[in-house]
Amino acid sequence: MNPVIRKASFALHSRVLDQVGLLFRASVSVQHPIQGSLAFSNERQYRTMPTHGIGKYKHLLPKEAPKKKKERQQMKQIKTATDAEYGTLNVKVSGYDMILVEHYSQYIHNLCNRLGVKVAESYALPTKSTEVMVMPEQGTKMYVDAILKTHERIVQLSQLNATLCPTFMEVLLKNQPEGIQLSVKLHTEADYQARFKARPELEGLMAQMT
Amino acid sequence: MAAPCSRMASRPLWQFITNVRRTGLKHTGVRQISLGSACRAATQTRSKTESVASPWKLYGAVCLQRLPVISQERNPIEDQFAELMHQMELERSLLSDHEQRLLEDSERMTRKQADNYDSDEEEADYGGQETITAQDQEDTWEQKLKHFQPALRDRDVGGTPLGSVERCLGDSLVLLVQQTVGKETIWLLPQAQWEAGETLRQTAERGLSSLPEADFKATFLGNTPCGVYRYTFPKEVRTERCVGAKVFFFKAFLSAGSATSQKEPFLWVKKTELQGYLKPAYLEKVDRFILNL
Repeated sequence: MNPVIRKASFALHSRVLDQVGLLFRASVSVQHPIQGSLAFSNERQYRTMPTHGIGKYKHLLPKEAPKKKKERQQMKQIKTATDAEYGTLNVKVSGYDMILVEHYSQYIHNLCNRLGVKVAESYALPTKSTEVMVMPEQGTKMYVDAILKTHERIVQLSQLNATLCPTFMEVLLKNQPEGIQLSVKLHTEADYQARFKARPELEGLMAQMT
Repeated sequence: MAAPCSRMASRPLWQFITNVRRTGLKHTGVRQISLGSACRAATQTRSKTESVASPWKLYGAVCLQRLPVISQERNPIEDQFAELMHQMELERSLLSDHEQRLLEDSERMTRKQADNYDSDEEEADYGGQETITAQDQEDTWEQKLKHFQPALRDRDVGGTPLGSVERCLGDSLVLLVQQTVGKETIWLLPQAQWEAGETLRQTAERGLSSLPEADFKATFLGNTPCGVYRYTFPKEVRTERCVGAKVFFFKAFLSAGSATSQKEPFLWVKKTELQGYLKPAYLEKVDRFILNL
């Protein structure tokens, strides 16, 4: 629409409303600017209008990377040992008392943070239940005496300095609680694969393919 | 020091597997540490002829520690706090499976003894009575607990000699040996003189294994020494060739085995007792690397 004509009609419109009455003036004058802005924002201006695209702002914001779908879990690179540092080490804490096991693994994690040793991962292995069967002196039938659960936690360290290692191990050994077994091993791919569940259908299909 | 330090840096690291178990008190009173080496490269010894011998004699010493076997006793404050936390947790906790079973069984007993007991209805709900109730199980467990005799915490009530490995089970102990150095016999950490062609760590191992009447199996954790002590000889002994001696200390833990016969030359002492046996200058350097945990 021609901007001039639009302006004229707008002016007429406001004059007509002024003439309505004093009673409505306050409300009208309050409403009027709102109505006017509403009218403007609800209508998109045509391409030839200078106000075309007046409310656009997205082009001013910095570009966001497109959101990727979560990829399949990939194994982190297992680091090899160099002359000054050990490779990826698994510190495994296991025992019957879950509180002690968890607290000790948390202690190890915090100690590594404080000493500057990089912790690659910290996870738990599934709990193993052991049934203790007791055979009484008279009779042959064994009955269940108790169920013991073995909890395991693993803290994976990536770059342990060779000079720091003896001190680190000493602190770990001196603070080991009772009933807890500590074991430090190299991380292998077999360890990583053991954490996943077996998928029998997939294995069946793979066997069929080959 | 040119020769041994550079050798140590060139020696490739060996990957190790350490398995430490901390189980109940055994007769040896020593924590079992087993160490296996996954890959151990051959030691590369550089054949480097030393044109000028350094004026310092080198020694490798081992700081053999016996790790604590039982936990330390609590302070009175720690005791109070532990009790308080225990009570708080008890009050905040929910009933476990076993305790719920106990409650259900007792309710069922009261319902049985009531006049309007309908046994058919009860059995339809619960699917037959159980032969062993939770209360019975608790009774059997209490009986078993009465039979169990825990071992004494402090074995040295009578006062074991200082040379015994099973001394203070809650603390870590260091091995001290009496050796003749120069003219005097003094107490020090077991050491041996460095010979050409071996690393300092091997010197320390040799120093440990060459102790008479002893059969200590030690686990060395790394190739790096933890401390060094340097002293100059008194003027009479000093020559052009040897001005003094440097002792490099290595840390090791007692894994298994103890002295076959407890004789005079050994001492297992705590860090606080070291002052009574070592010379002051020596003690100052040794104190720095022995942790008091």
